[in-house]
Amino acid sequence: METVVSDFVRVLRRHNLRVSPAEGLDALRALEQVGLGERAVVKDTLRATMIKDTDDVESFDRLFDLYFSLQPEREKPQLQVDIHDHDHGKTPSRLEVREDIEGEPQPEGHNHSHEADESTDIRRFLDEDRIVPSQDIHGDPESMRLSLFSQQLILNRKQNAMQQIMQKITHQLRIQRARNIFNPGELVTSTGSGQEIPLNVSASELQGLVDHLHEMEVDEDLIRELTAQSENILRGLPELVAAMLEREKNLKREEKDDSDFRRRSLRKLLDFSATEQREMEAAIRRIARQIHGAHTRRLKQDRIGRISVPHTLRNNIRYEGIPFQPVLRRRREGRPRVALLCDVSISTRNLARFWLHLIYQMQSLFSKVRTFVFVADLAEVTQIFEERTMHGAVDEVFSGNVLDADVNSDFGRAAGQFVGEHLSSVNHRTTVVILGDGRNNGKSANVEALEEIAHHARQVIWITPEPKWGWALGGCDMPLYEPVCDRVEVVRDVQGLASVAEDLVKIRV
Amino acid sequence: MFSSIDEVRSRLENQSYVCDQGLATVVFLATRLNKPVLVEGPAGVGKTELAKALAGSLGNELIRLQCYEGLDEAKALYEWEYSKQLLYTQVLREKIGEVLGPTKDLRDAAETLRAQESVFFSENFLVERPILQAIQSKETAVLLIDEIDRADEEFEAFLLEFLSDYQVSIPEIGTVKAEHPPVVILTSNRTRELSEALKRRCLHLQLDYPSKEVEREIVRLKAPGIADALADELVSTIQSIRELDLRKSPSIGETLDWAQSLVVLGAPRLSKELIEQTISVIVKFDRDAEKVLAYVASEGSRPPTASPQSRHGQDYGAHDHGHGHSTVYDNLRDAGKG
Repeated sequence: METVVSDFVRVLRRHNLRVSPAEGLDALRALEQVGLGERAVVKDTLRATMIKDTDDVESFDRLFDLYFSLQPEREKPQLQVDIHDHDHGKTPSRLEVREDIEGEPQPEGHNHSHEADESTDIRRFLDEDRIVPSQDIHGDPESMRLSLFSQQLILNRKQNAMQQIMQKITHQLRIQRARNIFNPGELVTSTGSGQEIPLNVSASELQGLVDHLHEMEVDEDLIRELTAQSENILRGLPELVAAMLEREKNLKREEKDDSDFRRRSLRKLLDFSATEQREMEAAIRRIARQIHGAHTRRLKQDRIGRISVPHTLRNNIRYEGIPFQPVLRRRREGRPRVALLCDVSISTRNLARFWLHLIYQMQSLFSKVRTFVFVADLAEVTQIFEERTMHGAVDEVFSGNVLDADVNSDFGRAAGQFVGEHLSSVNHRTTVVILGDGRNNGKSANVEALEEIAHHARQVIWITPEPKWGWALGGCDMPLYEPVCDRVEVVRDVQGLASVAEDLVKIRV
Repeated sequence: MFSSIDEVRSRLENQSYVCDQGLATVVFLATRLNKPVLVEGPAGVGKTELAKALAGSLGNELIRLQCYEGLDEAKALYEWEYSKQLLYTQVLREKIGEVLGPTKDLRDAAETLRAQESVFFSENFLVERPILQAIQSKETAVLLIDEIDRADEEFEAFLLEFLSDYQVSIPEIGTVKAEHPPVVILTSNRTRELSEALKRRCLHLQLDYPSKEVEREIVRLKAPGIADALADELVSTIQSIRELDLRKSPSIGETLDWAQSLVVLGAPRLSKELIEQTISVIVKFDRDAEKVLAYVASEGSRPPTASPQSRHGQDYGAHDHGHGHSTVYDNLRDAGKG
């Protein structure tokens, strides 16, 4: 069980689901409590113990189904007329072997540590008749798949026999792997050679395993079961290897590489002189003073502020109520939080240079900035801007890894996605700054989404490169968005930004 | 404590809390592993209700801590009762004089006084707030930490010690450890992300709007006197309204409000006019109401007779299940009234 769980955790981690070792242990402890009788329960258990983020539940569900899905689905609809089939369910044993192959690259990784508590574990599974009933349930592969765990435990008991079988298979696989020079490290998919594997493993080892089980006084029925299934195990092996490969393939993450060409062409566009950079920083600092977070409701003790009578009294009780130490409290200003949504589509490409610099500066000046870029889809790039240099970050955004930058811009859709996925990060302290031209190219404006954002945020500031007279032209939805925003500014360059900053400061005074 | 997942389910149902297997599994694990449960989900899906039902089914006390911005440990954990301490020193002045009488000099007096110090910093003078109450409870209490996302991040950090070991450190007394670890339920509406450290210590449960069958069951339990046909119509209408893209989907609470108002109005069936009249019960935004009414109007043009029958056919299993239990619920309800 430990092997299976830890392997599953590894798969989850490979898919960027954060599962700490403590959570893995929790999962094991939890499984001991609920048993492995029902697939749904096991799934709920693993999810509750390991997945703490609602956004991750979907990928967990997918991975769980994939990982524990080795039971071929096609067997389900088959009408099983033959009673024999019910008695000797063939699939569970297959699963078990597959599981072991799964751990094949590190045979030593198969741990032998559960010797101590194992016998009780086994007894539990046998006593509760989990295996036998699991096999005669028509069309209910759910429980069949689950017997994977129990069978794993039983077979693990006899490490050596199983080990021998596995070594044999491993050996075969390794040889084939070595032959496969084009894709080093990968298993060969050709079924022709795959056929050889099971025939060599053969009966003697399996017999050894069965004998050993006899010695261990494991349930006679179970052994008979296993013997009956051995045939099927062997027959099923090629299929099994194929299925395993398929699964591995599905579990593997696809990685794209980015084009150098794009980078170089962009680099030219994005160079920024030192003076420009300084001017910009100054302008942003001025704006920063204007973008405030809300006052917190919380009064904090401070060296200046109002005298708080209750606190003063309480603190001075030790002086018999004589206020030696007055307690002053005042409202603190919350840290400003900013969410930036930046359009990086073709129509604004010539400005993207300026905007991305703006973003970079803002992220370094404000403590809590989350940055998103959008064309038609929305992607968060906060991390990228934090970790890389300015050029690196800008390159990354346009490389196509983050989002597809070459489609028509669609703010409505991006706003919808923002509402769906990131609205929780916007609260009454957040200022949302949108950088874009508001051109939806004929698609729905989705004003509701922006309203929703405005409803949650403290203020919405829209910075557009186009002067107001241009808004009525060519599929621009700015007139619709304008009433929703607290402020719309036309900014094309650093000078423009500086004058906006100037305006903002003036208004305040 | 519970012995199986099914028992969790049936005992929660006895508390008129209908739940699915996933929820029962998590609750079962929480009681077995002594781990807190973090329940997340939209408003009005029964997160707080779960804690109440759980306390009821275990027959234990429910201790509730409502979080808000600015909540600090004086409100959540403990506070020294200064006035009581002061009062005691006043009253005991003479006694203190007696104790200090035989001392020779100042140093000696201070020494003697220090030996008595623990009298004033003892649990007598401690005002217990919810968390300390839960720890010191004589039996396994159920502690509900409601809307943890409203509290500050510092408060979350402060909770960590309690959540992992069920103990708190009070500087003057030392560490207080729970003899009977409480069952802790934290709820969150996800107005902000909680810290990883907190999440790691909890079992996670995502609650969502219930399925049709479950919701019908809830309506039957909580809005007695509603006709079966009406309940069916009501629940399927609510379910399809949730499919619409609304700013705030109607929650279970609103379903029940609606059911109750229909009972009060004595409506036999759900009609378009009736929905128009009572729309304010289920949706709370103008734009939403418009959308719902438009949807109802478009639905109304279809022949209404076909749907109830086919629905009956499909859900026969679930229906049967409901009826099997209904006598039990009726009895309980009656008992509750008496």
